[in-house]
Amino acid sequence: MKYELVAGFETHVELATDTKIFCSCTTQFGGEPNTHCCPICIGLPGTLPKLNKKVVEYAIRAGLATNCEIAEISKMDRKNYCYPDLPKAYQISQYDKPLCEHGYIQLSNGRKIRILRIHIEEDAGKLVHRRGDTLVDYNRGGVPLIEIVTEPDFRSVDEAKEYVEKLQNIMRYIGVSDCKMQEGSMRCDVNISVRPEGSEKLGTRTEIKNMNSITFIAKAMEYEYGRQVDLIESGEKVIQETLRYDDATNTTSGMRGKEDANDYRYFRDPDLVTINVPRSLVDEIRESLPELPEEKKERYINELGLPEADALLLTKYRKIAEYFESASEGTKTPKTAANFIIGQIFRTVETESEKEQFDVSVSAENLRELITLLDSGKIRMNLAKSTLDKMLETGKKASELIDEKDMGGLDEGALDELCRQAVENNPKAVSDYLAGKEKAVKAMVGFVMKNSRGKADAALAEQKIIKLVKNS
Amino acid sequence: MVTKEEIMKIAILSKLSVEDDEIDKLTKDMGEIISFADTINNAADEGVEFDNINNLSNAFREDKVVPSLEREKILANAKDSDDGCFMVKNIMK
Repeated sequence: MKYELVAGFETHVELATDTKIFCSCTTQFGGEPNTHCCPICIGLPGTLPKLNKKVVEYAIRAGLATNCEIAEISKMDRKNYCYPDLPKAYQISQYDKPLCEHGYIQLSNGRKIRILRIHIEEDAGKLVHRRGDTLVDYNRGGVPLIEIVTEPDFRSVDEAKEYVEKLQNIMRYIGVSDCKMQEGSMRCDVNISVRPEGSEKLGTRTEIKNMNSITFIAKAMEYEYGRQVDLIESGEKVIQETLRYDDATNTTSGMRGKEDANDYRYFRDPDLVTINVPRSLVDEIRESLPELPEEKKERYINELGLPEADALLLTKYRKIAEYFESASEGTKTPKTAANFIIGQIFRTVETESEKEQFDVSVSAENLRELITLLDSGKIRMNLAKSTLDKMLETGKKASELIDEKDMGGLDEGALDELCRQAVENNPKAVSDYLAGKEKAVKAMVGFVMKNSRGKADAALAEQKIIKLVKNS
Repeated sequence: MVTKEEIMKIAILSKLSVEDDEIDKLTKDMGEIISFADTINNAADEGVEFDNINNLSNAFREDKVVPSLEREKILANAKDSDDGCFMVKNIMK
């Protein structure tokens, strides 16, 4: 029998505010244990939490960027459970009135992943388990999070990977989070079940908790899919449980029996007043949103005429898109800047994080200067290319690397003379060419380019040389 | 109606120890509290909006950092501490 994977995501994203959600302690990552704490975030009795306005604004930003409806009235609730990472024995979260609902993210295959809700909540502290005891650091406790919950709309691991990447890019573009999975500022829980292909009924699901890399998510999902199919094939049942993925062994193992939602005994937090979201605020935030990667990509394809592959590479990270837009501004065709960036500048940024930073030695202004020289006919493409390589190496401007005598085209007479010399000085290339080796002409073109210091038009030189050789 | 079993379950979740002779009284009290909540729920059915009953909303804080408390004070009430952390009994089985 053939099986279908069904998965849903719950993603926690740490918001890039300066202070925690309910107190004014810093949200900075790291720091000596328990030095970013105060009576509110360690839950001392008699303290009063007060909501950070920016958290609400950032959550609305995230909601609008993922096509959500923004609630007019929202509130905070207590989610009760006893675990030392929560000093109050409850987490302040949102239960039945989340800030954002009913959004979606569209995948490249056209399928929409529906977003059920986005709510705000506080992060828990960090536990370090030792032999015999556990150490608790509450620096992270109270750091604002949004939890983005999807419907079970994923049908393949590839869809899941694309979703996580897209979500990460959107959140970074709109500036609400750095989404560094390795530092835990973005973490995913995945609900997985399998069902016979064509069946409408959902199978029993398991939940894999707290994964912090796209590679792990993909591996864990593949493993869990295989495990569930094997169970069903051998006549056993999938048990609804919470699992942990171990990347060392590439397996999942049980954590605890999943509690019913009722067991959290959610109730409204009486310390926190209602959140009223005026429509004017929603409009204001909507207007302040930057162009999102998906919209940018479409614009690059439809308005700038870039191939889809180029548009995709240039819009993946905001800094690259900004660089491209600045470098191509006012130039003849955006394709030139795209080619230089993808063909040459990308060679100097290898890792994804380097691409994201896009801290390259040639500034967008300097690339634009080079393209302007090319557009005006002062230099030719091969000289532009070699100059860009030198610019990347030295960080110098094009005008510092190309001197006056290299600029300006080559007049027809000078080109004819160089072509004549090329034929005269390369008898072997001539005979090779006449013997049918068409590539031999390249050696003679090379001679012209070298002796014109790259000023000659290579295509024109080739035509002229072929003519000379054939008439000789 | 609240059952004795439910009382015991809630006690376990809340980490409360309940003596045998307390269960009956707790069950009765809890039943009364729940039925009071039902009264409120019925009122809600009559179109009363409970989301913002005291008319207070949007008590926000600006996102400005204020220095945290010194760690000695943070840890002052901890039963046990080590390495600048609160220390609790091992919770991993």
